[in-house]
Amino acid sequence: MKPHSLISSFNPANEPDTLASHERAEIDASTRLPVLLFFSSAIFWLLIGSLLGLISAWKMTHPWFLDQMAWLTFGRLRPAHLNAVIYGWASAAGIGVGLWLMARLCRIPLIHSKLLISAAIFWNLGVFVGVLGILAGDSRSIEWLEFPGYATPILFVAYAFIGIWAIIMFRFRKPGHVYVSQWYLFAAFLWFPWLYATANILLIWQPIQGSAQGAVNWWFAHNVLGLWFTPIGLASAYYMIPKVIGRPIHSYYLSILGFWSLALFYSWNGMHHLIGGPFPAWMISASVVASIMMFIPVVTVAINHHMTMRGHFDALKWSPTLRFTVFGAMTYTVVSLQGSSMAIPSLNTLTHFTDYTIGHAHLGLYGFFSMMMFGAMYYIVPRLTGWEWPSATAIRWHFWLVASGIILMVGSLSLGGVLQGLALYDPQVSFRSSLDYATPFRMVRGISGFLLLAGHLVFAGHFAVMLLKIGRRREGPALFAEPSKPEAATV
Amino acid sequence: MTAGFLLLIGGLVFLSGSALFAFYWSVKDGQLDNLGEAAKTIFDDGEPIGAATDKFPSRK
Repeated sequence: MKPHSLISSFNPANEPDTLASHERAEIDASTRLPVLLFFSSAIFWLLIGSLLGLISAWKMTHPWFLDQMAWLTFGRLRPAHLNAVIYGWASAAGIGVGLWLMARLCRIPLIHSKLLISAAIFWNLGVFVGVLGILAGDSRSIEWLEFPGYATPILFVAYAFIGIWAIIMFRFRKPGHVYVSQWYLFAAFLWFPWLYATANILLIWQPIQGSAQGAVNWWFAHNVLGLWFTPIGLASAYYMIPKVIGRPIHSYYLSILGFWSLALFYSWNGMHHLIGGPFPAWMISASVVASIMMFIPVVTVAINHHMTMRGHFDALKWSPTLRFTVFGAMTYTVVSLQGSSMAIPSLNTLTHFTDYTIGHAHLGLYGFFSMMMFGAMYYIVPRLTGWEWPSATAIRWHFWLVASGIILMVGSLSLGGVLQGLALYDPQVSFRSSLDYATPFRMVRGISGFLLLAGHLVFAGHFAVMLLKIGRRREGPALFAEPSKPEAATV
Repeated sequence: MTAGFLLLIGGLVFLSGSALFAFYWSVKDGQLDNLGEAAKTIFDDGEPIGAATDKFPSRK
């Protein structure tokens, strides 16, 4: 503590720590409406998306389940699930976290909130029209781009508002260093419209011909993960981990190296989905090489997060934000290295076209990104509502239900996928029998879906109670346990 | 040459150009000069280094 000056003793409001706290509270308050709009709608779509996913998973083992109505058939439910979770849940949650982080890192109150509120309305309208369109049978049958043509422009308008806002905020930021999270966010906000517009022009507006469509499709689908979700997730981790434990990031140099190497290598990765397909060999080879080069950004992030956390792992016992965020950060390392390994052609021939790939996709979007978003929400929402999370028990249930759910899901799909792949290799086994290997594992996956949905219901209920400020105001934060010595955290 | 193609190439040039410009700017502006200090910019007097912050803002 600095010694008090005579003036500050007369007027403590001028103390630097009080001024900084007020400034931060003002910035947080300015983001309240748009961020909460994105969060609430994201949680709504999370529930819808998990229900659609659960029914789809159940249909894999019980094909007669709900087979009487066309709009509840697998061919419509499954893309509806995918699009509801990536655009309705993950993107909206990511935008919400991104807006809050941008305001904090620009160190100015959020400006032009009406632009963002309009964006939230348009975004949800687009997702609503899109999901209904898919269920009505208007799916475009291009993976990750199933939304019908009449939904896409609505999403694009919403997105344009956010991109314009990001540029304005950056333009008016307070002078000083641009923190690594902001690089990630700003890049994500600019990359996404480019990806989305390019894929829509080449596949819908003026469709290119033949197998090149597949190349554009996977270039887009993989980049949505790598250049949209990944930067937002990492931006959150690079802010939350140091802030919660009160220690700067271990190596800032590595974090910058990680950012620029991600920017350089990731957009080449998509073609590894097409190994063995009718494409020029150089396209596939370049993509395999780039996939392996992804070791650089991934390992820099892994080392950095681990070394920052070193000596502070006991904080996982008491901080909900940190527990979800560190789970996400560790999964990021696992899922990225797994992804690189899956691009090696010899391994790819085993896992391609099996449930192993589905497990990998869920580990990425859920185990990494969604967990990161939950962690960020646990940190952000109390600062927006002025109301603490009512129940540490509910957070604990949320964590264990979704953590066990995703581990069970990815474990069962990976194991089933390998057995399925080995059976596909074996000329003595018919294609029909190869599917039998996967069936028991698909049953387990169905059960894991129940765990995830239960966890989401707990989270949604808890969020609603908090938003409506039901019950007694809680004194102090909802932590899992009293921190042993959080104040004693050292640099 | 179609409008879509022009838009794509234009977008590609613009995007690559802006990435290069961003990198050039970050070097020129001194963003990469003192990385050790840069990591500390998310802390301030209210939430200094060494203080855990997973707590309600009103409770100091």
